[in-house]
Amino acid sequence: MNTKLIISKISKIYPGCIANDKVSLEFGSGKIYALLGENGAGKSTLVKILSGVVKPDEGEVFLNNENIKLNSPLDAKKNNIGMVFQHFNLFETLSVFENLSIDSSKKNEELRLLVNDILKKYNFKIDLDIPVLNLSAGQKQKVEIIRCLIRNPKVLIMDEPTSVLTEQETEDLFVSLKKFSKEGILIIYITHKLKEVLSLCDEVAVMRKGKVVSVSNTKEERIESLANKMVGENLSSVKKKINNFKNSEEILKISNLNFTSDDPYETNLINLNFSLKKGECLGIAGISGNGQSELFQILSGEIITENTSIMFRQKEISKLNPRERREYLMAFSPEDRISQAAVPELKIYENVALNNFKSSNFFEKGLVNEKKIKEHSKKILSNFSVNTDNVELKSQFLSGGNLQKLIIGRELITSPELLVCFNPTWGLDVGAINYIHETLININEQGKSSIVISTDNDELLRLSDRICVIYKGKLSKIMDANTVTPEKLGVLMGGGSID
Amino acid sequence: MEALLIKVEKRNDVSPSIYFLTPVLAIFLTLIGGAIIFYVLGFNPIEALKFFFITPISDLYGLSELLVKATPLCLIAIGLSFCFKSNNWNIGAEGQLIFGGIVGGGVALLFYGHEGFYVLPIIILSGAIGGMIFAMIPAILKTYFNTNEILVSLMLVYVAKLLLDYLVVGPWSNPEGFNFPETRQFSESARMPILFDGLRIHAGIFITLATVFLSWLILYKTYLGFQIKVSGLSLKTAKYAGYKGKTMIIIVFVISGACAGLAGVGEITGPIGQLHRNISPDYGFTAIIVAFLGRLNPVGIIFASLVVALTYLGAETAQIFLQVPKYTGQVFQGMILFFLLGSDYLLFFKIKFLGLRKNEL
Repeated sequence: MNTKLIISKISKIYPGCIANDKVSLEFGSGKIYALLGENGAGKSTLVKILSGVVKPDEGEVFLNNENIKLNSPLDAKKNNIGMVFQHFNLFETLSVFENLSIDSSKKNEELRLLVNDILKKYNFKIDLDIPVLNLSAGQKQKVEIIRCLIRNPKVLIMDEPTSVLTEQETEDLFVSLKKFSKEGILIIYITHKLKEVLSLCDEVAVMRKGKVVSVSNTKEERIESLANKMVGENLSSVKKKINNFKNSEEILKISNLNFTSDDPYETNLINLNFSLKKGECLGIAGISGNGQSELFQILSGEIITENTSIMFRQKEISKLNPRERREYLMAFSPEDRISQAAVPELKIYENVALNNFKSSNFFEKGLVNEKKIKEHSKKILSNFSVNTDNVELKSQFLSGGNLQKLIIGRELITSPELLVCFNPTWGLDVGAINYIHETLININEQGKSSIVISTDNDELLRLSDRICVIYKGKLSKIMDANTVTPEKLGVLMGGGSID
Repeated sequence: MEALLIKVEKRNDVSPSIYFLTPVLAIFLTLIGGAIIFYVLGFNPIEALKFFFITPISDLYGLSELLVKATPLCLIAIGLSFCFKSNNWNIGAEGQLIFGGIVGGGVALLFYGHEGFYVLPIIILSGAIGGMIFAMIPAILKTYFNTNEILVSLMLVYVAKLLLDYLVVGPWSNPEGFNFPETRQFSESARMPILFDGLRIHAGIFITLATVFLSWLILYKTYLGFQIKVSGLSLKTAKYAGYKGKTMIIIVFVISGACAGLAGVGEITGPIGQLHRNISPDYGFTAIIVAFLGRLNPVGIIFASLVVALTYLGAETAQIFLQVPKYTGQVFQGMILFFLLGSDYLLFFKIKFLGLRKNEL
């Protein structure tokens, strides 16, 4: 069975962001292809186009030289394109077999024979008659794979398949995938884990900001080279001034930070220790999903951990919630600006009131001081050049850049001693990015400190005084930003070590 | 196999006027639905609807009865709006009402034979506290043991009901009552003052109106109200803003329990005047419909409580004149909720038909 899949000049434009920009790729059966890229690089959009979930604005897909139209997931199924998503689509309370039979037109007896054959052939050990909720993550994934195999797929797309698997399950999965590949199934493997690309795949296409930046044989690649392609190595010309913080006092000291989560989609943090001086910017690099979100929430007080010590301006604040931490002049700008940092349904001035502490007087004796909040909001809108002066406007009508300016403005207008931000410019246009970067550099110059957790290395090299990398919940040693090269970051982001 | 592809999309901006008009549409659809049901049952639908919705309030006594029914419904619904606005699903207002009734009734029996202006306020206060305590059970279990408040609050309704049953049959039953399952009639000082001679409308309506005003103040003018609003829209944001989630859960349950307890004590010291098995015709459950029909808005809830109270009265009239069971009232309440949820769905989501397509599996 020879399969050839060609993607030709696929473009998909969302309001404010080009998800796929004339993406062209060629795949042939017998090989495992990696599609590598950061979150937001456009690989998910491409995969959704291939599985018929999203329609491209431009471009064509050819399967064995036939131009196929993928208008719905059914079209993908018809063309024997199978897809295993990162989050499973299974009915937890139904049995394995019931889950498989739901979208199959085969008779039950026939299907059972077929499934048993597949189980035997690939040495899968799954009881077909127990409810799916009793299965491990790895077994659930196998059910999803079987669901694809029933249809004799020509193409099998795996989206971040190892994010919830144990090491052993990952190895098992790789063995199966190699078997499928030998049998002629074309496998497209989406990931941001570099080691997996090298150990499993034959060819690798790297996507960045909606474009394919490189296609190569994995034998020619190393972890560092892939990491650099993924996050971009062109340093921006603007580098921040060297601050005179070296002799200044220590403002934050974190010791013994450990966090174990019950949620398999979260990352555990293991023994993090670091400190920060007045006027300093600490950058934390890393490929997303390595513990950044958990670290942010612990710094902001949304997650309270046992036995961790967080000393901020000589006060132990590890048990305080975010509002209480704000009283000590900390400020936070989370990654998710639409559903966490602000509420789209609320008006601008109501979103401003979210950052409330005693001296703001937004709420006097428990009553809302609307006048005060509105005055304060107007100040933010003008000081941080948000593109409106109407504080009654619902935040959902602000563009991403303006919303982020509002959020950063809300956090900074109180002159905090420390700002913690997570991907502050994610998904913004160049103008807004520059504005936010200038603002962040500015606060360091005023002697205020910042921690920038970001998956954008350009950003970190531009903003940080010192940089470290988070990998699988562990922090690398902290380096002077002047001595850091993109190569070094690449090695650390892939889990390697440097002297 | 052929499949009709349907896609559901969220609408981005819903205008506030339509948002508050859909409940009116739901009521209109309920009337049509009711007319059809009466027609199928063999009645003249216009006549039947007249018996149901016009006759009961065509005289002063009827209007007074409407307010007597709307008083507890409005009060409970106002309390529930605190819970629902902040994503806490208190389904057990009926239990909180009964428990408030039990505590208030117990105090009233304690004061049996006493006369004085202080008696009634003490009873009312103890009723509110009773409701509060009963509502705190699901709240505390939710905050400290992560239980589901829907289940716990609902199940506690039956606990309260059985407790009331036990008390009126056993220890609290009227010694001169020939073993009827009821307590003594409360003394005059323990009764809500009647507003007009010959009508049952009582001073409880002032408690309700005061609560409505107070709730409006809390919800729209205080920090607590702001926190409730934010938590209802996005729990992630509430956490990020550092609102004390656990404390807030307890506060909203306490408020809603107190309201239900007040409603309970208002019933037993008002129209009923004693404790017996059926101190509430499911006001606690029906108030959930009232709360949503009123859009969780204090003013909206006033109107909604009047509409829903009318279904209680209508059911009684219909029972007399049309010989249909009084449960028709519940059918109408159910229809209101059904049509409200239905029109809300269409209000917040667009349905797109993508046409027929052959499905070759």
